[in-house]
Amino acid sequence: MLMSPSSIRVFLPLVALFGLTQATWAALQPAPPVDPQVDPAQVEFFEKRIRPVLADKCYKCHSSEATKVKGGLLLDTREGIRNGGDTGPAVVPGNAKESLLLKAIHWQDKDLRMPPEKDGGKLPDNVIADFEKWIAMGAPDPRGAGTKVARREMDLTKAKKLWTFQTPQAAPVPAVKDTAWPKSDVDRFLLAAQEAKGLHPVADADRPTLLRRVYFDLIGLPPTPAQIEAFVKDKSPYALAKVVDVLLASPQFGERWGRHWLDTARYAESTGKERNFTFPEAWRYRDWVIAAFNADKPYNQFIVEQIAGDLLPAKNAAEHDQNILATGFLAVGTKGLNEKNKEIFKMDVVDDQIDTTSRAVLGLTVACARCHDHKFDPIPTKDYYALAGIFRSTTTYYGTNGPGGAAKNRNASTLIALTPPAGTEKTAGAVKPPPPAAPATAATPPVATAALVPASPAPAPAAPATSPAAAAPAQVAEAQPQLPPMIANNPAMAERFAKLPPKKREQLLARFGKAGPQIGAAAPAPAPSAVAPAPAPEAVPSPAPASTITAPSLPAFIANDPEKAKKFAALPASRREAFLAKFANDGKPKFAGKQGAQTTPDAGETTGPKAMGVADGYVSDAAILIRGEVEGRGAVVPRGVVSVLTMGEAPAMPAKSSGRLELAQWLTAPENPLTARVMVNRVWQHLFGEGIVRTADNFGATGEEPTNAALLDTLALQFMRDSWSVKKLIRSLVLTRTYQLGGAPDARGAEIDPDNRLLWHASSRRLDAEAIRDAMLVASGKIDLRPLEGSVVAKTGDGYIGRGIRPETFTNVNATYRSVYLPIVRDFVPEALDIFDFAEPSLVVATRDVTNVPVQALYLLNNSFVREQASAMARHILAQPLSQTQRITLAYQTALSRLPTDAERARAEQYLIDEAAGLAAVIKGGKAEDAAALSWSTFCQALFASAEFRYLK
Amino acid sequence: MNERPYECRGVTPAALTRRELLRTVSAGFGWLAFKSLTTAASAAESRNPLAPKAPHFPARAKRVIFLCMQGGPAHMDTFDYKPKLTEDDGKPGVAKGGGSKLYGSPFKFEQRGQSGLWISELFPKVAEHADELCLLRGMNTDIPNHPQAFIQLHTGSAQFARPSMGAWALYGLGTANENLPGFVTISPPIQFGAQNYGSAFLPAVYQGTRLGAQRADVGSASISNMRNPELSTELQRKQIDLVQSMNRDLLATTANPEVEGVIESYELAFRMQAELPKVMDLSKESPATLASYGIGSGPAGEFGRQCLMARRFAEAGVRFIEVCHAGWDQHQQLQSKLTANCAATDQPIAALLTDLKARGLLEDTLVMWGGEFGRTPDGRRPDGRDHNAKGYTMWLAGGGVRGGLSYGGTDDYGYKAVEDPVHTHDLHATILALLGLDHEKLTYRYAGRDFRLTDVHGTVAKAIFT
Repeated sequence: MLMSPSSIRVFLPLVALFGLTQATWAALQPAPPVDPQVDPAQVEFFEKRIRPVLADKCYKCHSSEATKVKGGLLLDTREGIRNGGDTGPAVVPGNAKESLLLKAIHWQDKDLRMPPEKDGGKLPDNVIADFEKWIAMGAPDPRGAGTKVARREMDLTKAKKLWTFQTPQAAPVPAVKDTAWPKSDVDRFLLAAQEAKGLHPVADADRPTLLRRVYFDLIGLPPTPAQIEAFVKDKSPYALAKVVDVLLASPQFGERWGRHWLDTARYAESTGKERNFTFPEAWRYRDWVIAAFNADKPYNQFIVEQIAGDLLPAKNAAEHDQNILATGFLAVGTKGLNEKNKEIFKMDVVDDQIDTTSRAVLGLTVACARCHDHKFDPIPTKDYYALAGIFRSTTTYYGTNGPGGAAKNRNASTLIALTPPAGTEKTAGAVKPPPPAAPATAATPPVATAALVPASPAPAPAAPATSPAAAAPAQVAEAQPQLPPMIANNPAMAERFAKLPPKKREQLLARFGKAGPQIGAAAPAPAPSAVAPAPAPEAVPSPAPASTITAPSLPAFIANDPEKAKKFAALPASRREAFLAKFANDGKPKFAGKQGAQTTPDAGETTGPKAMGVADGYVSDAAILIRGEVEGRGAVVPRGVVSVLTMGEAPAMPAKSSGRLELAQWLTAPENPLTARVMVNRVWQHLFGEGIVRTADNFGATGEEPTNAALLDTLALQFMRDSWSVKKLIRSLVLTRTYQLGGAPDARGAEIDPDNRLLWHASSRRLDAEAIRDAMLVASGKIDLRPLEGSVVAKTGDGYIGRGIRPETFTNVNATYRSVYLPIVRDFVPEALDIFDFAEPSLVVATRDVTNVPVQALYLLNNSFVREQASAMARHILAQPLSQTQRITLAYQTALSRLPTDAERARAEQYLIDEAAGLAAVIKGGKAEDAAALSWSTFCQALFASAEFRYLK
Repeated sequence: MNERPYECRGVTPAALTRRELLRTVSAGFGWLAFKSLTTAASAAESRNPLAPKAPHFPARAKRVIFLCMQGGPAHMDTFDYKPKLTEDDGKPGVAKGGGSKLYGSPFKFEQRGQSGLWISELFPKVAEHADELCLLRGMNTDIPNHPQAFIQLHTGSAQFARPSMGAWALYGLGTANENLPGFVTISPPIQFGAQNYGSAFLPAVYQGTRLGAQRADVGSASISNMRNPELSTELQRKQIDLVQSMNRDLLATTANPEVEGVIESYELAFRMQAELPKVMDLSKESPATLASYGIGSGPAGEFGRQCLMARRFAEAGVRFIEVCHAGWDQHQQLQSKLTANCAATDQPIAALLTDLKARGLLEDTLVMWGGEFGRTPDGRRPDGRDHNAKGYTMWLAGGGVRGGLSYGGTDDYGYKAVEDPVHTHDLHATILALLGLDHEKLTYRYAGRDFRLTDVHGTVAKAIFT
């Protein structure tokens, strides 16, 4: 009657072969053991040989009398001993192999040795033999069956009391004493908390400081001297709003904020782990993320597409392609290609998907429950395997099957074919991406309608005269109406531009027109009607009509041929599953790229563009694996979601598709207590330095409580009301008075709140690695703001890094494009990023480290890239017809976005004299101009090296 | 394979994240003054993350030199004497699929030193140090595949990105010489990834600094960004002075303690770029010393340079030094290739032990030798052995371990550890214990959980302590 785990495994696909339904198959699962007729002799055996040992050796920790029940296991009732604890049944009547109790008393397993050493250690051999005998005879047990429910169930009702697991609550805006200070409700929440502690905010930041802050925060680049000047001069109360709208509409916004998401999505372009193979198509997912932020794709939709894009209906092939690219989220994780056991490999991929999804979206570590119920958060193992069933029913396409060292790859996959761009015949690896579904031009500057947005100064979107986007060009375009401000405001660029042949200039200008507004560019004011209609949360795309999905069945050519069917049935389970995954549910081979196609095949040998991503595979529920080991198969758990986060009905899982779509909809449902809060908190963190919940990657019981819970909830609710618009959220936060505060604390405030938890001044923040590198390129005038098509990894193609592909290909890239486009290969991150605490790409990272270490100093002092940028900046400054003093001023403006003080000017002048004199003595030929040029170069480098360059005040 | 351990993701909660602490590399007067003005935070909290830290209990070793033999050296041909295997040479083996034959060691063993440890003729010079060696003959690990086992040997986990043991040691103890990297790895194999010396979720300040790579001449190895080709030291100092005056201005106006860290990082960097090339420069060593390591001519030259450099780093106060010799994967041609490997490493290792002892460093330097696993006593190919994770040998010397000791053992043939087994996790727990660190207390909070090098495992092999 009982089946060994291996026979169950073999059995599963057979059920599928005969087209049995979920219900019938559940009925075929081993039934709970029926109470054996207890024979008196057996009772005697139990009472004499077994019960005394249990009582003596085990009850201390495993009975209802125990002060603390260990491992959720009770051995003092029949039910308890058979149901077992966290790791599974202690005793399976008649089955020695499955009985964990026997394993424990045998001391076979280092981690499961009972009784423990301190309680007398291993039992004598004859006692162990008694237990074996007892289990072999069916574990007769006369003890009451129903005395106590032995299995410790997590108390979800109790667990739900933690703030994290409760739906966000609207809170009244608190009253403040200083009613003149706040510009928005966010300010009122914060000010009220400060006033309660006797604090008051410091003065506002000066204009250049504020502008530098907002440029780096929104687009990751510094403002040009001309932009600073324009902002300082603009006395309009809407000056900041205008800048913010221009920045939000620029394509650089997505490059900055998309990268924040890529940190949490553990984005990388190689497998990492022990055999590090390239992912030459990963960059398409990177670009999809950037485009999504630029288009202000509603965050709920952003999540749904990444988890279930392949299951969404699409209007056309291009949209379907975009939806597939989104699922790269699930495919770009680490892969242990050297794993011999296919099942372990598969469950590791599933684990990566559960871990990344739960941490990136929910800020919770669900993956703890792979091996045991979560120790701190109310997430039982069965929830993990409910999710595992969803991802196990999914096939992940990640490639690594190219010619580069396939012999060393035990787990190669393929890719998903995208629609080839019309009329193009390009080879894989160097293809031009299909145009993004929502190019940057579709970006919709958010409008000030939200209650949290500053009430007074924000211009009404419908009034063209004061519309920020319309007003901005008037400010910046005056100087050189023909040129995009990006060029006009950057002298080095303007110079280069002027030298271009007329045709090139025209082309360049034409591109600016098409590509949408650049930084500070003349963005046409979007008509209010152009604002993307906000889909109501319940309007999340619904699954395709049922008619497109049919029961998984055997392909006709096998089903109709008894010989083949027989051979097929004889294949190992994993091969049968892999084979079936190549066919749609109607038994026909899968195909892709067609309108509304629900499933996607592997790309095989096709040469068109390909993507990493997922598609539904063989749909089934997963079994709990005891302690996470594939050999330790336990009960099958229906596919489902995290119970503690489910308010009301849990979503029903479809029998014929994986359930990813239902999972994605559940994640982004307005009742989900975490998704909106976690995102709002991340945005807050990127703008203010620390999250309202400072443990941004951990909203569980071991995380910190929010510093202002009412504010967090209010923002989360507002975020959802604003159709999950990230741009609106950012806009509303940047336009608060709090964001505009000065950085220096006063002594009194420092006494009360030294850690600035109440945000009464701006916290100093170090720029991240990308911004530091990009800022040097801006200062040198060398930055190339065109998005990179592809990536160094795409050019390199498939292969095994370290064998045939040199790591230096990725760590030492000499490029002038933005840092977000540098290759991100696991274990071989470019030096410029690695040194400044780039997010470890094998891990989900919500908050990057900030360190100040000697290798950074050595990099800035000695690295050739840094020296080259300094030298280019110096050459540009020296080419201007300016006095030495004016040049120093320009250098400060270029590198630090501010004017130097008189003392600083004097110090710089002296330095330049001294250094030039010293250099003249040592450089070849000793020419004074060369010495002066080099001294200028070292001066510009010193500006890059200064703490001020990498900190926001 | 059945005992594949899934790493536990949840352990005990601890008090505070150390992130804020680690933001500043140094706690100079400005920071302290600011802190004392504003908060009662103890001075200890604002310490430099690399500053020497007190161990949990008195340490037996202050530093580690790990002689990593990548590929899986055959224990039954080197340090695990198996007379029964020799006796049964040619009998059927147990390898899956059948057809394997037991392969008695083609090398002679002899009892060496006062202690009478059995050591193979392949290591004549190391054998002279028999009474310093503590043979761990019951080693075992989980996975008999190079990449996974190698990474598990270094980080404890083959499955997840975790910090390497050197990073943990540096995190736990800080460094004795801030002018040098605290964790150095010389000539690591590239194809197994930087994770073997990475810091994963620990701050990057704890990651290993790589010098050279396998199959490259370590003599020409350098650390990047150590020199500005355009500026003399003097002129660069002027430039740094300008940077520092700007930094001090910023510190004065913003009171941002992290700026203090930046200031300190420049001073450290300036000293480091002066000191590191000196430590790596072997030219000041006497001809006798160079000859003792086999540097000059002969097969031991390359590894000799690595070992000598390791001694120089140890002497200079580096906390964790790894040197790597690859190519111990003898599926065939065992006799010739193993002989060659041992010829390339025997003299340098012996010289390192002699040298450390002569300088009084061996007593507090833990020297560790071994690979990611061992080899099978049987094989299907003539003159070859396959991977064996179930039993093998590593050895320790110096740093508070009992010399002349054979601890643990495998069965008669060397298939499996049967006596006092020491798993990779146990080895890690033991190394940390020798350094004065409790492997259960050395934790780091990441994603809401406290992680350890040993995950939920690890038993300290106390019996080997002096």
